[in-house]
Amino acid sequence: MQFTVNGQTREAEVEPDMPLLWVLRDELGLTGTKYGCGVAQCGACTVHVDGLAVRSCQLPAGAAEGAEIVTIEGLGTPDAPHAVQQAWIEAQVAQCGYCQSGQIMQAAWLLKSNPTPTDEEIDAVMSGNLCRCGTYPRIRAAVHAAATKLREA
Amino acid sequence: MRLLRLLPLVVLAGAALAEGPGGLTVPAFADGSVSEAEGLEAWARIEAVLTHPRCVNCHVESGAPPMWSGPEFETAVPHGMNIQGGESRIGAELLPCQSCHVTSTLPNEVPHAAPHAGMDWRLAPPEFVWFDVPGPAICTQLRDPERNGGRDGPALIEHITHDAEEQGFITWGLDPGAGREPAPGDLQAHLDDTAAWVAAGMPCPE
Repeated sequence: MQFTVNGQTREAEVEPDMPLLWVLRDELGLTGTKYGCGVAQCGACTVHVDGLAVRSCQLPAGAAEGAEIVTIEGLGTPDAPHAVQQAWIEAQVAQCGYCQSGQIMQAAWLLKSNPTPTDEEIDAVMSGNLCRCGTYPRIRAAVHAAATKLREA
Repeated sequence: MRLLRLLPLVVLAGAALAEGPGGLTVPAFADGSVSEAEGLEAWARIEAVLTHPRCVNCHVESGAPPMWSGPEFETAVPHGMNIQGGESRIGAELLPCQSCHVTSTLPNEVPHAAPHAGMDWRLAPPEFVWFDVPGPAICTQLRDPERNGGRDGPALIEHITHDAEEQGFITWGLDPGAGREPAPGDLQAHLDDTAAWVAAGMPCPE
């Protein structure tokens, strides 16, 4: 089965009902995407599939075949972080950090679909991404900061 | 059982059984072959399906969230994650349904996971509000082309067979899987009842 992952063609011999999350983590070694709940309740496994932020624990590999997938590893690099990643670092959003790759992928999608979100819109779109450390106020501030960076870019 | 109860009607009416799409058999009642009383009996069974939480929870007003029901809740509660279907009915304004609800005909096997169907996940159009609407009012809505997507009786029947072909939301509501309580009956019984109700002239309770 073939996928485009972070701009590269990748192949994996997997059953079509294997969740994309396991393809990414176990077959392709991309462990930046996290397993949280496995039932789309927490958002830790969020990646971009054909431009939409989705919970990779819910998407069967067969449904993602041929898709353009972007994971946290492909969003930016340490040398050239995505505006959302840069804002996250500057705001020191993360505490334990486990949910943060999902948060960042969701936030990046949010700013692509809505470059100037209000607090209410940020809360609505980010509500599917849980953070047990309670970093929500810093997430909201970092989303605003990233929006400013993207507008100025 | 319901099909067995309807079969004599079919025989009496001299109607043929036509093999329909989606693995369903569409009973072909002649117009007027089903009495109003029998039509109201069929409606009572249809109403039990349409007013079940598995159906009404996605038939909500434009500004209202979809609802969740389950043994862990005493009554229906708003969908978690601050979800709004919006005017788009697919959450396009904020968080799209497809963020979690994939389009797949694979069985729903994982308890508490985001359910999926063969159609793209979405809410019913806002003119089809059923949540907290009494059954008789749903009945008059269902037979009104202005409020049912422009459908006449045969189109309502086709709505069910098309759903079966696509493994859509009616099919899912009657067989939601993963331990969810289904709407009562099965899809064939629901189709039989709908066909009988249509043949009876779509009678609604007073």
